[in-house]
Amino acid sequence: MVTLYEGAIIALLVGGVFFGIVAAVGLLRLPDLYTRAHGASKTDTLGAGLSLAAAAAALGSGLPTVKVVLLLVFLFLTNPTAAHAITRAAADQGIEPWTSEDRGDGE
Amino acid sequence: MSADERGNGDGNAVEAGESNRSLYVESPIIMATVRVVAPFVFTFGLFIMFHGADSAGGGFQGGVIVSTVILMLAVAFGVESTRDWITPERLVALVGVGVSAVLLLGIGTVALGGGFLEYDVVPIYHFTKYGIELFEIGIGVIVSGIVVGLFFGLAAGASGEGGADREPDDREGLL
Repeated sequence: MVTLYEGAIIALLVGGVFFGIVAAVGLLRLPDLYTRAHGASKTDTLGAGLSLAAAAAALGSGLPTVKVVLLLVFLFLTNPTAAHAITRAAADQGIEPWTSEDRGDGE
Repeated sequence: MSADERGNGDGNAVEAGESNRSLYVESPIIMATVRVVAPFVFTFGLFIMFHGADSAGGGFQGGVIVSTVILMLAVAFGVESTRDWITPERLVALVGVGVSAVLLLGIGTVALGGGFLEYDVVPIYHFTKYGIELFEIGIGVIVSGIVVGLFFGLAAGASGEGGADREPDDREGLL
């Protein structure tokens, strides 16, 4: 029988895997760069964050946990910034965002 | 005809200059993040470099991480201003210092009567560890210098004529 602590770790891992799958689906199914960056960055940050939180909880107290938490902090800082850099550059290059009008053109 | 060509050339140069400017995206968010993250990345790179002596890590990995700091600065504050700070001459000097440090270490042990990089012959306590760390720093300096040089070379290609006109000899020597 799993303890409450193990159950919490499993719940964090399941959440991480769920958001990872959502990020993959968003990357494959969304129509243009902006929506894909939105879907991939937000859900990927959460998915990796929850998975790392599960790893930190599973490792208990010690130096490895500190390293994992630092990794988590820097991932939360840099991942959205990278997505912002890509989309800002795309907007500067004049890439038009997808709108619902484009759907009529495509079909 | 020649005047026409000159006009075309100037127009292209102006166009390249404009596209060059638009390649750099000024964003306070990126600048703030780079300002916060860069010292940590630099320290982490040095940590990986020094750690090669007794666990996973080493000069190659640490050198790439240290060079990432320069790439982040170039992305956040513009490639041109970063290149004004780290000129090709300084990069070549950096790589030269790394190569000569590694060679000095290797041939120094030969001069003291050992083999190439045989640290035991140096009459300093625990020199094997310090020697490996010195070697890793040399490797790291070489790797980071070359990665930054390759990045500047790629960035000059992306910025078109205006970028390629800038000190072509130095850049070719670098690559």
